[in-house]
Amino acid sequence: MGRHGYELCREADIKSGTLYPLLMRLEGQGYLAADWQAAETPGRPPRHVYRLTAEGRRLAAENLVPDTARAALPEGRPA
Amino acid sequence: MRGVAVFVLRLAKRLLTPRNRSWGEAAQREAEEIEHPGEALRFAFGCLMWAIREAAADRISHLFQQGDDPMSFADAIRGPRGVALLCATGAVALGLVYMVMGNAPARYLMMNIGAFAFGLIALAILTLADGRGHLPGRLLAVGLGAVLLATSLLGVRVDGITRWLALGPLTIQPSMMILPLMVVLFARFRDGLSLIGIAVAALALALQPDRGMAGALTAGIAVLAFTRPNRSVLAALACAAAGFAATLVQPDPSPALPFVDQILYSSFSLHPLAGVAVVLGSALLTVPVLAGRQAKAPELAVFGAVWAALIAAAALGNYPTPLVGYGGSAVIGYLISLMVFPRRSALAAASTEAQPQAGASSDGDRALYVGAARAQV
Repeated sequence: MGRHGYELCREADIKSGTLYPLLMRLEGQGYLAADWQAAETPGRPPRHVYRLTAEGRRLAAENLVPDTARAALPEGRPA
Repeated sequence: MRGVAVFVLRLAKRLLTPRNRSWGEAAQREAEEIEHPGEALRFAFGCLMWAIREAAADRISHLFQQGDDPMSFADAIRGPRGVALLCATGAVALGLVYMVMGNAPARYLMMNIGAFAFGLIALAILTLADGRGHLPGRLLAVGLGAVLLATSLLGVRVDGITRWLALGPLTIQPSMMILPLMVVLFARFRDGLSLIGIAVAALALALQPDRGMAGALTAGIAVLAFTRPNRSVLAALACAAAGFAATLVQPDPSPALPFVDQILYSSFSLHPLAGVAVVLGSALLTVPVLAGRQAKAPELAVFGAVWAALIAAAALGNYPTPLVGYGGSAVIGYLISLMVFPRRSALAAASTEAQPQAGASSDGDRALYVGAARAQV
């Protein structure tokens, strides 16, 4: 199960101009896999889907946002 | 509004380097799936900002690349061209010190500073074009020769001398601006086409007349004739010497202008420190040749000969003192003639190649890791 770019922007509350360079670097360092996925709706073009690699999951686990930091985030915003 | 978003994303995609264009494609597809047009537009402009940053970083990195071999900014500064740029900066700065001490009009100072900025941009463009093989050096030499001839025939005439062109409020001396570049380009190619450029330039200088520039042309070609003689070089030397001789037999009544001519002497009567600034600034102009001696390129010796001759001319007659005196043409001419300087010495290149590649991780990457954790893709 991967995520799309716009979805990530909303979930991480970051702008597209910040997201894509971040994705590019994570992909370049092997923490992220980016694949073209055919659209579920016929006639629509394929989209990029992003997944953490095993290495990326380990990295994410090592850098979990502490609860105090979560509390400081705006209400209703998934971290 | 959605159409604007698509247009913006297409533009962003075009700005990205070919290796990153698939990311631009991905962003475009993503925007097409966003339900609200306003959101799509915001998303598109964010991507455009990213693409502009990527494009700017790519262009800047190209300035510090030689072929496929990347170099750091530190390498660039250590290399002969970096040394030459530091010398040019020092010379212009010392000239400003002299002019401030002599209470020169503020516009004189602004002119030299503006010319320095313009020269840096011109140098960047020339080196970029040259590095990518887009600079037709031989044709450029011919074209520049034609500009000099046009100046001699159609330029501003003062006291029987025609050396200048009026460009709106500015009066420039094209020979000071482009002759050094022409000579170093000829030193690089040493062929028939670039010889035409030199011959036309020699004729133009004889018509103006300009002993200082004609002497500098002869000095540069003479050094080339000693180090890399061939038929074109010897023919160029004959043209340059004939042009120089023609200037010597003509009267050159141009008077000395304050802050421009004869300042190697007059600056000492102003203040000893002003004199030291002018002499030191002038001496700095030939230092880059020493920094580039490892390259063993004839262009560098020719560069040194041309600028040494121009300084000598300024010491001997009423000719502009390059870079330290008032005059933007010399500042631009010096900077663009640095195009032929290698960006790094052979030694620096060897040490760069010996260094291992930097690791993937750095402190700056920490932000990315935290971002990944937050996103939990």
